[in-house]
Amino acid sequence: MSIISNEARCTSCHAGYGWKDATFDFTDMTKIDCLVCHDTSGTYKKTPTGAGMPDPTVDLVAVAKSVGPTSRKTCGDCHFNGGGGEAVKHSDLSRQLLHPERSCDVHMGGYDFQCSECHRTRNHKIAGRSSSVPVVEGSFSCQNCHTGKPHNGAKLLDHHLNKHCETIDCNTCHAPVYAKCKPTKVFWDWSKAGDKERKPKKDKYGMEDYNWKKGEFIWKESPKPVYAWYGGFMKRVLLGDRLDLSQPEINITEPVGSINDPNSRISPFKIMKGVQPVDADYKHLLVPHLFPRDKEDKTAYWKHRDWQKAFVDGMKAADMKYSGKYEWITTNMYWGVEHEVMPADMALSCVQCHESLKGERTCNRCHQDSRDVDFKTIAHKGTDFSYMASKGRDVSHLVGTTDYIDFKGLGYKGDPIIHGGRFKKLPMGYKAEK
Amino acid sequence: MTRTGPGVILTITAALAGILFSTPALAANPSPAETAAPEKVVWTAPDQEEAEKRAEEVVPFVEAVMDECRLCRQQRLRDVGLSVKDQSESYFLLNSPIIRKTEDHYGPVRFMHAKHAGVTKDCALCHHYRPLDETASETTRCSACHQEPFNKDHPERLGLKAAYHQQCMGCHQEMDKGPIDCAGCHRKNVPDHKDLIQLAANPEPFEVTSECLRCHKPAGEDMLKSAHWLWKGPSPYTLHHRKEVELGKATIATNNF
Repeated sequence: MSIISNEARCTSCHAGYGWKDATFDFTDMTKIDCLVCHDTSGTYKKTPTGAGMPDPTVDLVAVAKSVGPTSRKTCGDCHFNGGGGEAVKHSDLSRQLLHPERSCDVHMGGYDFQCSECHRTRNHKIAGRSSSVPVVEGSFSCQNCHTGKPHNGAKLLDHHLNKHCETIDCNTCHAPVYAKCKPTKVFWDWSKAGDKERKPKKDKYGMEDYNWKKGEFIWKESPKPVYAWYGGFMKRVLLGDRLDLSQPEINITEPVGSINDPNSRISPFKIMKGVQPVDADYKHLLVPHLFPRDKEDKTAYWKHRDWQKAFVDGMKAADMKYSGKYEWITTNMYWGVEHEVMPADMALSCVQCHESLKGERTCNRCHQDSRDVDFKTIAHKGTDFSYMASKGRDVSHLVGTTDYIDFKGLGYKGDPIIHGGRFKKLPMGYKAEK
Repeated sequence: MTRTGPGVILTITAALAGILFSTPALAANPSPAETAAPEKVVWTAPDQEEAEKRAEEVVPFVEAVMDECRLCRQQRLRDVGLSVKDQSESYFLLNSPIIRKTEDHYGPVRFMHAKHAGVTKDCALCHHYRPLDETASETTRCSACHQEPFNKDHPERLGLKAAYHQQCMGCHQEMDKGPIDCAGCHRKNVPDHKDLIQLAANPEPFEVTSECLRCHKPAGEDMLKSAHWLWKGPSPYTLHHRKEVELGKATIATNNF
């Protein structure tokens, strides 16, 4: 979907006033909305359907006198609610982070990190790469502060953990589940929209499965991420790109990486699956006109529930061809799990991925040690899913997992302890055959 | 991503056992009342609180230090067996009232002591002198020796602010690691705008912006070039499109929601 032809709704998250259509003047500085980012009074808000204009009840003078640095509140007012609600798009960003429990995120919880402490900003350019949006104004990663060898506790395991950092993203271990604080939307079927009679049902998390404007949804809380090699680049389908409709599913964003690329690391993703419209002849994604421009609007889907009219209008506004024939296709977007970092004690342990360490023999396959060191304890501690499940998290199926990472799916012959790592092909004191 | 070290995390996890995953905000079926964010900090890490307290302390000034070259000191510390494992605190907030007394332009710096110790493995790199008093601790905090600038009795001593900056930025430059610009370490404090804003009651939003621009025109010019304004811009990490500069929601980026 796209903001084109739906500006007045979407641009309630624009740092400006009045972007209601393509005529908006992007050179007019007086249209900048300083307050939406710099309010510290907590009273500023925009009208959700007003093209970025403030709610008329806001005392603008009081807000202007309150201006200060950005905060989780000001950033979150938009970024916690992307996709039309809390944690819909970003599984790891929700209003829970305004006053987070430590378990939501180790930085924002407890240490009170504001967004801009990591997303460093210079000249209003804000560092950070998004897996969903292509524009980037600067890059940073965990390593900026933690370095490439972040485990510096001088513990026995630290050497191995630091070696893992060459191959595994921090959050692969430190965010073993996502959407811990708030269920996130993982499936969105636009083709089911339009049924005003259909009563939304609540799922086990209390989230509704249907909205006549938007279609059918599936929500997930605390699911295990999907893991993929990721070297920092994304492949994207852009408006106008011709798609291969013979494929059952099309990735409209996906990480670029491979087991052979030294820059790639196994990284966690939420996959947002969608069913969305495509032009049956031109085979490019369609832009529907959803949000009515005014009372006279004759084509908006959210007014007339007529997809055909909505596509004709939306594609005209996007200056793209529409054959008049549409189909629904299943698409996937890969969303990086970048926040919700868990403390060391709750990170994945060796055995949760390496099944070969499950038994009595663990580190002592390679290490001989007569000191009072309990290898098994070291290899087996880690994310306590049964504890998380006992506190209401939806993770009972993960208790006792020893195949958390699908090594074969990622290009290994099997558990790298048995078969060797990606560049060093020496097994670690095991025989390849069991 | 953070300025707190993994060491910090280890020290406080014990305190967390009862806190992790045990709150209404995390219950599987949150009621509407529980999903509303409370208007207070629900939990602060113990070492965050300790660091905040330590940052406010002003310790007695060390009048005399032992004359010892850095290499001598490094060797001596190693020979007596003092090393990074002996550090008592892994995380500091640098926000001394000694500096704030004269100026308060920037917020606290999160200093990952354990991380720096782990990387350098050399206490003497920063703790370059010890107090002459033999009963004093081998290492002290920076602000024990560096306090007011231009101390007439100690013209050889840098003030605290200069000491921090020379030590941090000097080492970062030398090692080609770590930030060397203001925003790399601390967030700017914004002065109180209560008496600066000149607006009549019930202004139009555009009038508010014009009032901001009265002083912040360069910020406005920067903003006009920003992704948060244009919703598009250079997209160097998107395959096939690295040289196109107009990718974003305002152009041809798309999604499935």
